Amino acid sequence: MSKCIIDGREVEFTPGQNLIEVAKKAGIDIPFFCYHPGLSVVAQCRMCAVEIEKMPKLQTACSTVAAEGMVVKTKSPRTAQNQKAVMEFLLINHPLDCPICDKSGECDLQDNSYRHGDLYSRYTEERRTYLDLDMGPVIQKNMNRCIHCTRCIRFGDEIAGIREMVALQRGNNTQISTVDGRALETDYAGNYADICPTGSLTVKDFRFKKRVWFLKKTSTVCEGCSRGCNMEIHQDANVIYRCIPRENMQINKYWLCDEGRFNFQYVNDENRVVAPMVNHSVSDWGLSIDQAKKVLMGKKIAVLVGSDLTQEEGSHLLEFLPKHFPGSPIFHFGTPGLNTAEKDGDADRILKRKSKTSNLHGLEKLGFQGFDKMPKEINAVLVIRGGRAILPDLKGLVAVGLGVFMAPQVEEFSVILPGTSFAEKDGTIVNYEGQAQRIRRAILPPGQCKGLSEVLMMWVNSKSSSGAA
Amino acid sequence: MGTKILSKKFYNEMIQLEPRYPTKVALLLPALHAAQDEFGWLSPEVMEEIGSYIGIHPAQVREVASFYTMYNLRPVGKYHLKICTNVACCLRGADELVSHCEKKLGIQCGETTKDKKFTIMEEECLGACGTAPAMMLNNDYYENLDVVQLDELLENLE
Amino acid sequence: MLDEFETLFIQHFNDNARSLAYYLEKMQGYTASKKALAMPQDEVISEVKKSNLRGRGGAGFPTGMKWGFIPKNSTKPKYLVCNADESEPGTFKDRDIMRYTPHLLIDGMVIGAHAIGANTGYIYIRGEYTREAKLLQVAIDEAYSKGYLGKNIQGSKFDFDLTVHRGAGAYICGEETGLLNSLEGKRGEPRVKPPFPAQSGAFGGPTIVNNVETLAGIPYIINRGGEWFSKLGKIEKSGGTRLFCVSGHVKKPGVYELPAGSVTLRQLVYGTCGGILGDKKLKAVIPGGSSAPVLTADEIDVIVDIEPLMKIGTMLGSAGIIVVSEDYCIVKLIRRITRFYEHESCGQCTPCREGCRWMEDILDRIERGKGREQDLALLLEVADNMSGKTLCALGDAAAGPVISFVKKFRADFEAHIRGAKCPNV
Repeated sequence: MSKCIIDGREVEFTPGQNLIEVAKKAGIDIPFFCYHPGLSVVAQCRMCAVEIEKMPKLQTACSTVAAEGMVVKTKSPRTAQNQKAVMEFLLINHPLDCPICDKSGECDLQDNSYRHGDLYSRYTEERRTYLDLDMGPVIQKNMNRCIHCTRCIRFGDEIAGIREMVALQRGNNTQISTVDGRALETDYAGNYADICPTGSLTVKDFRFKKRVWFLKKTSTVCEGCSRGCNMEIHQDANVIYRCIPRENMQINKYWLCDEGRFNFQYVNDENRVVAPMVNHSVSDWGLSIDQAKKVLMGKKIAVLVGSDLTQEEGSHLLEFLPKHFPGSPIFHFGTPGLNTAEKDGDADRILKRKSKTSNLHGLEKLGFQGFDKMPKEINAVLVIRGGRAILPDLKGLVAVGLGVFMAPQVEEFSVILPGTSFAEKDGTIVNYEGQAQRIRRAILPPGQCKGLSEVLMMWVNSKSSSGAA
Repeated sequence: MGTKILSKKFYNEMIQLEPRYPTKVALLLPALHAAQDEFGWLSPEVMEEIGSYIGIHPAQVREVASFYTMYNLRPVGKYHLKICTNVACCLRGADELVSHCEKKLGIQCGETTKDKKFTIMEEECLGACGTAPAMMLNNDYYENLDVVQLDELLENLE
Repeated sequence: MLDEFETLFIQHFNDNARSLAYYLEKMQGYTASKKALAMPQDEVISEVKKSNLRGRGGAGFPTGMKWGFIPKNSTKPKYLVCNADESEPGTFKDRDIMRYTPHLLIDGMVIGAHAIGANTGYIYIRGEYTREAKLLQVAIDEAYSKGYLGKNIQGSKFDFDLTVHRGAGAYICGEETGLLNSLEGKRGEPRVKPPFPAQSGAFGGPTIVNNVETLAGIPYIINRGGEWFSKLGKIEKSGGTRLFCVSGHVKKPGVYELPAGSVTLRQLVYGTCGGILGDKKLKAVIPGGSSAPVLTADEIDVIVDIEPLMKIGTMLGSAGIIVVSEDYCIVKLIRRITRFYEHESCGQCTPCREGCRWMEDILDRIERGKGREQDLALLLEVADNMSGKTLCALGDAAAGPVISFVKKFRADFEAHIRGAKCPNV
């Protein structure tokens, strides 16, 4: 192992690593703005400049590869003076509107200003201001807050594969923008806000909704497709405000697609059925289960299981269904036209997979068969799902639903037993590569929604008999 | 794509130039020059067409075009006067030329006359400091200028 | 003072010299590239090393050594790029070489290309030089038609294609990596170094970028020997003659060619250039293009070459010497210089993008009589916060002059601040 010396400590490194990464491993934070481990190195912000012995000028840590015996000083007076100077330069034209900025509290500019900046400003000239053009539905831009780090430009170019965010004009007038107010085209636009080190790019959906320091964070996995991107759910008072990507170098690196990012919205949707329903009327759990059994009584039933359910839920159903619905065929469903894991594949060159549910591969491993079309003799269905699996055409058959449903989807259903979404339960899902990952409960189920095992228990304990013919 | 705005001549020039570079993007500056020679400025439509010819996003064309001061992103007059006001020219009376020009044409630097005949701009160093003050009229240099010569020149243009 | 010597360039600076016929007849045209193409690459490089030719673009880096940085075993295509951006205010010599002796440059490029193993070359010429670009193109076409460029040059089996690539108005494209980005069809923003162009330059290939005057000197070195060229210089470590561009308040501004290290600034201004316009008193001299720290009238007994100027805290740069007489406002001058760097800052790195504008704003205020006592200290601190801390040299180019002007002409600034007006005007 090669070694260098940072702030008087011997630190090991892998050849090729830059000084920011080497220092970070040793618990030493070198401040930076433009550097991002997932993007190319441009050394533009100059915040990470450090003193290196035998070099006359300060060197940017992001662009300096550690070398054997290199002696680096990240806290020397010269280093600190440069950090102070860069902070001053970055703030002279910044509006300092932290009180109304959504980034406040998780802002690199704010944090580094606090740690490395000066207490007062010497700037008395007029601040530079811009007029912003719209950039489409996902991202809100505020160019006045921009510090020209170009992370967004590089993200578009290098990760999203589209150079839609660009630097226009030059020098002090440089404006980072799309052209002529064009909407962002990428399906990964939310990442622009994540990587923005200031409040220049924020997510419109989250705008003015919540101060970030009130948010409680739960580490979980996206249920949007079979990739299994790691993410955090941020909630307060049992309301989810947003999801952001969580680093996992094997799966999603630092990124998350917009579909996955905003998938949580159905959890809070006002149309979500959150109380047991019998023929469109709110009922209570006992009566509803009785009614469900009654409706299914004597029918030829098919059971449709959403591939958005967890392995635990799947295993439980594999025990429960043969006992209580003997002889009924059981199918998994989730993405129209894609009924086996074999048909799954990449939907783009970034993260998205064709399977629109998270656990297709897991349920298949458990032995579930994919739904193709309804067997002829069937005249009733029991649909069990999370919130994500897309319902096949039930052709007006008698239907009972267990899980998460939006009211307009289930007008034909006789009984709805409201269940839990991915955000309201713990469990395991298996991604397309066979990797099992935990999803975690971030909030309590709304209304009278109940977890699957509890509902199955009530079903077993209910006095009416099961309805299978 | 609808009909092309740029001429056959433009496309022929590009086809000739293409093998001189290992990438097609390298054609961008020559393409912008050639297009500007055709129209006098670079409209969004022209830049869009250049982008689709080269195979890059229109935003990429714009970011490059807007970086360089010679590309006119707005229409300019038939006679585009670019008066150098950098150090050497200033030492030799460029300011006087500018104010004379502004007065004579009744416009400020950066503006175009109503008849779209003249645009005046202050220019950074033209690399003609030994023959200062200097200016460019469209693509041509005029050096060792004084107010009298400038007057003559302008009158010949009117 | 000076022995008579044969100029390499200036004697040919006339409209008749640019034809191929003239070049062949009067300047031993293309015999140098023929000779070099028969030499092993290492030998060409070692001849150039012997010549003590130092880059004429501003940095003064030894040309032979630079060529030696090209990796020998790289399989990527290599490139030779001529930096004809000539964008440093006060510099106008390369324009003369290109318009009067374009074949000399082409000849030099063929030799350079052979030395580094490049089959493709570009002349990146500033966009404003439209006429020079056309003249170069004419010369290149001539050279192609006679087999001095293109395939199997002069029967040597060496191929070299040369293309004129026009810039479009950006000082920063004189910085070699900014230039390479511009050549590639991008914004002319300088790149992070390392990697240096010799490892990864144009289109990712090993690349050498040389100034026009540098390359135009190469045919002489090959034909007459590195040692001969080296001895033209009158100072250690600087070979050849040098083109000096003198502008501003002198009686005879223009391009002058003198042996490197042979004159003092005083001799150049008062002798060669005939003294100050209107026989006024000298106020200041900027010795190396507007980015060079300024000298006062008392500091001009210095040899005009790289080391002597460096020793007194300024630089030779591109040898653009700007002379200022007593009645020109020093504050106005530095404000104008700073405005230029503000205008030309590419904007990618923080200290340059923000610092240039800030300095300009402060200087603007001082010039307008709105300066404050603490402004000079602030100005120096802002400049210091830029110096040596930017991604490319533009930060230094902007900060250096400000620091030198404030330090050397402090009284003028103070007079503006206290008297709210210029004492000279």
